[in-house]
Amino acid sequence: MSDAEFDFAIFGSTPMAQLLAGLLGGEHGRKVLLIGQNRAGYRLPRGVDLSVGPITRPQSWAMLTGTSAEAARLATRIAGRSALSRVDPIFFAEDPRAVEALSHMRHMAGGFGIAAEPVGQSALGGNRSGMVLRDAMRLNRPQLETGLERWLTDCSVERLAPHSVAVDNDGAVKIETDGGTSRAQQAVLADDEAIVAWLPLRQWPTLFQRVRHASILTTPTRPLAAPIMFELDKGLFLTQQAEGGVAAFGPGERSAFSEHVHGLLGQNRQVEQAGQTSYAALATKDGAPAFGRVAGQGADIVANTGCFGAFIAPALARWLADRASADEARWFDQHLVNRTSRQTRVDEFQWPQEEHAA
Amino acid sequence: MRPQINRLPENAPKGFAGTAIDRNRPLRFRLDGRIVSGFAGDTVLSAALAAGIDTVGQHRDSPIGLTSRAHPAISHASLANDPQFALPMARTPAQDGAEFVTFGVERSRGMARLFQPGRTLGLKLDAAHPLSRPWRTIPGAAETTTDLLVIGGGVAGLSAALAGARAGLTVTLVEARGFLGGHSGLFGTQEGEDAPEVSMARLSAEVEREAAITVLTATQVFSIRPGLARAHRIETAPGTSRGRVIDIAAARIIIATGALERLPIFAGNRLPGVTGCLDAYELAARYGVWTGQRAIVATGSSPAYRLAMLASDAGIGIDRILEARPESASRFIAFSRAYGIVQSPGTVVASVGTVRGGGLLAVHTQNRQGSTLVTDRLLVCGGWQPDLTLWHIAGGASAWDADRGRLAAQGDIDSIALAGSAAGYFTRRGCIQSGADAVDQLLGRERRPVDDPIIDPLHETPDGPLAIAAPAAEGAPSYLDAGIGLLQCPAEVPRKNRLAFWRTAPRGLTMLSEAPQALAVNEVAAGVDLALIPADAAGIVAQERVASVPLSVEQGPPSPDSWTPIETTEIPAFLIGRYGPEAKILRIIPEEARILEPGALIFPNTDTRHPDQSIGVILRHHSAGAVGIVAAKIATEYPVTVREQGQFVRAQTAPLDT
Repeated sequence: MSDAEFDFAIFGSTPMAQLLAGLLGGEHGRKVLLIGQNRAGYRLPRGVDLSVGPITRPQSWAMLTGTSAEAARLATRIAGRSALSRVDPIFFAEDPRAVEALSHMRHMAGGFGIAAEPVGQSALGGNRSGMVLRDAMRLNRPQLETGLERWLTDCSVERLAPHSVAVDNDGAVKIETDGGTSRAQQAVLADDEAIVAWLPLRQWPTLFQRVRHASILTTPTRPLAAPIMFELDKGLFLTQQAEGGVAAFGPGERSAFSEHVHGLLGQNRQVEQAGQTSYAALATKDGAPAFGRVAGQGADIVANTGCFGAFIAPALARWLADRASADEARWFDQHLVNRTSRQTRVDEFQWPQEEHAA
Repeated sequence: MRPQINRLPENAPKGFAGTAIDRNRPLRFRLDGRIVSGFAGDTVLSAALAAGIDTVGQHRDSPIGLTSRAHPAISHASLANDPQFALPMARTPAQDGAEFVTFGVERSRGMARLFQPGRTLGLKLDAAHPLSRPWRTIPGAAETTTDLLVIGGGVAGLSAALAGARAGLTVTLVEARGFLGGHSGLFGTQEGEDAPEVSMARLSAEVEREAAITVLTATQVFSIRPGLARAHRIETAPGTSRGRVIDIAAARIIIATGALERLPIFAGNRLPGVTGCLDAYELAARYGVWTGQRAIVATGSSPAYRLAMLASDAGIGIDRILEARPESASRFIAFSRAYGIVQSPGTVVASVGTVRGGGLLAVHTQNRQGSTLVTDRLLVCGGWQPDLTLWHIAGGASAWDADRGRLAAQGDIDSIALAGSAAGYFTRRGCIQSGADAVDQLLGRERRPVDDPIIDPLHETPDGPLAIAAPAAEGAPSYLDAGIGLLQCPAEVPRKNRLAFWRTAPRGLTMLSEAPQALAVNEVAAGVDLALIPADAAGIVAQERVASVPLSVEQGPPSPDSWTPIETTEIPAFLIGRYGPEAKILRIIPEEARILEPGALIFPNTDTRHPDQSIGVILRHHSAGAVGIVAAKIATEYPVTVREQGQFVRAQTAPLDT
């Protein structure tokens, strides 16, 4: 049996990884293999997809606001209107440096036409300050996943469950499955789990650090101040589920993370844990996203895109297919995974990672 | 007062008179105001069931049966609404003169309460986690330190406790129920074994005699990690019972929590009168409680036939056994034929409904003919799942065993071991030997093979896959398990109706990830059988969604004193390079008196407003006013415009030290 040949092998389970695979296969005519399962239907959440993020750099806001409408149209085309909703997320902080960073984010978001308003301490408790970002778009992962399967098929994307994966130094990849061997000219490791699982250690970028993350789900409780809240000091998201439970995810060891979340929710909420897990995630040392080929020639990496990765998927697909606009190409070039501090600085606000190093 | 209409007679054969109760010591207590009679040895639950109260309340407009696995918390009426004093119905002894109330769930009130059937507690179960256990949020009191903690007082746990004591360890054995012995009784005897009751009594007596073993009955462990377990214990004094949450420090822990009976999936599988075979057996054997005069059995597992025969001996009419497996062989099946019990192979229950005007059930079957049978009670058995709840809470892994159709533990946890059915053993001999083996494992001793003599499948057909009926468009809901979670089968996502005036039905849960409650191990197993969870993800989902209570040291909030003060000229990393490598820090003095916020962008004039055109940004305030970082080309005493809150503020730059 001859080996199947592909242009790209996309590894990842996030909506961004799946959108990337479909766009490369459908809009850019590439032959694409996807290695990753739909799992929003049964796993604890580890991420959220928003058209806004904790961003301070104007170039990044420009990229995000430039592609988010396109990504939203794509999501509704794939899975209908239920795949997308509008939310007013609150970002908050207590540490003075994080509070200062929040203020920078708020002004920068306002500069890009996003209604960003301060939120008073009375709504957040303690000495916390916050901002609400009005009318942000959110991808509803479970609903989106119901349409992704069919869309990916329409885009001629093949899915595989591999036994083994070998990523070469030049980025080519060999995938062994029950059905035989598949090869792709270029591996794209499109989420943290894929990078941790498949990137050979010898290719590990110095920009990365492994961080212990946790995710917990609580039993239902009364509404939070906003359905999505982000604690900038800790990099922690709180999202209130449709049935009233609160899902929290972010850096930290599970038990300490749990204590912290219960502390955030306050003693008046008698909630129990309805789920919990811990896992290894990635952070970049400068807090900014990272793209491109490791060491300039290996597998393509997509890392640290935070909550907005899915909304830049169309631009990323164009960049990987060599069809990006000049502005898009410049932004991705600034965020290459092998960037150094001597090049254009792209640092973002970084919550403490050292204490959670995995 | 409610008579004990569901109590079997004192002379009921085959141990169905109730080994735990003393019929010479009748008692009466109040439950939500109604008088319930029972006997010494009854629990509040067994007495309520004996008195014909078999319904918890309404969930999604459908009644939910009151069972050993699904009952509300209660408390003494004088201590109502304090979780410190909440008690579980199934573990709280019935006491003469006591007055109990159901806890934490809204009850029917007023006229609705007056006219509700006497068989129901009348609880409204649509609220969030209505059958939760309030004591789970209470911190534990450091109570006991022991060398070996054995969780579960069945034959495996008893054997482990004895092996631990013989190895010179101090042992604490905790058992959720009020007595030792476990659930071996239902499963009968294999060749070469003594009767289960004999095994259970012998091992229990040996444990009671062993000075190194401390037995804590009515104590249920609900959280665990290496070195520590947290339990809810009921302490009984004359006239009252008190619940306490205790922490037990243990160098080694053995989990011997047995197996859980699975619930076949069909519409109406939680209606009053639908009962698991193990629950029915235990209520009859321990308390002499049996609902109704006639029953139908629906099973894919052979021990249900043994229950049918025991019930038949006790005078209960067994109308039919609906066997989900198309072909099955078992010694119990052969014996039950001799009893003349009609068997319908390859038949599953399609749905169950209540028959108006009485507590009867209409059982609709799903086979070639399809028929409806009317009975008092439907006894169901969907097979058995090792109870890995505590194993998962402790961080243990598991994986789906496709051959057995269940989750099985995998790997090891430092200082924690499994024994008995929880470890995956099938026979009583295997369970007993596995108790001693678990001690050997924890002590690092050489381990001997455990003899688990499973009968050849030719003679004893293994359990079939979980019986799952086709989804019913109408009727009572179908649930994934019989526990407190009340987790319904996720519904199909309804298609959007194009007609705006057409009201769509209210949506229920459409996927398991949205379930706001923890998933019991049986619910995860059902999720796999329903293809809601991929089999290869079942272990991780079970571990992720287990109801865990963190056992960690309390951490205080971060102290503001611990934050390093910000220097006036400190440039955050996210601003480095934004205004060029030579960017400088200047004071920004607004023309009008106002505070300029950090992050407000500085522009050369009011004509420019896009962030890309900014020439600087306000860093922060210090004692002398606002400080900004600006591009190198900006001179001091240079007029600039600061954009803040949609307004332009005229300002001027100045050296920092002015």
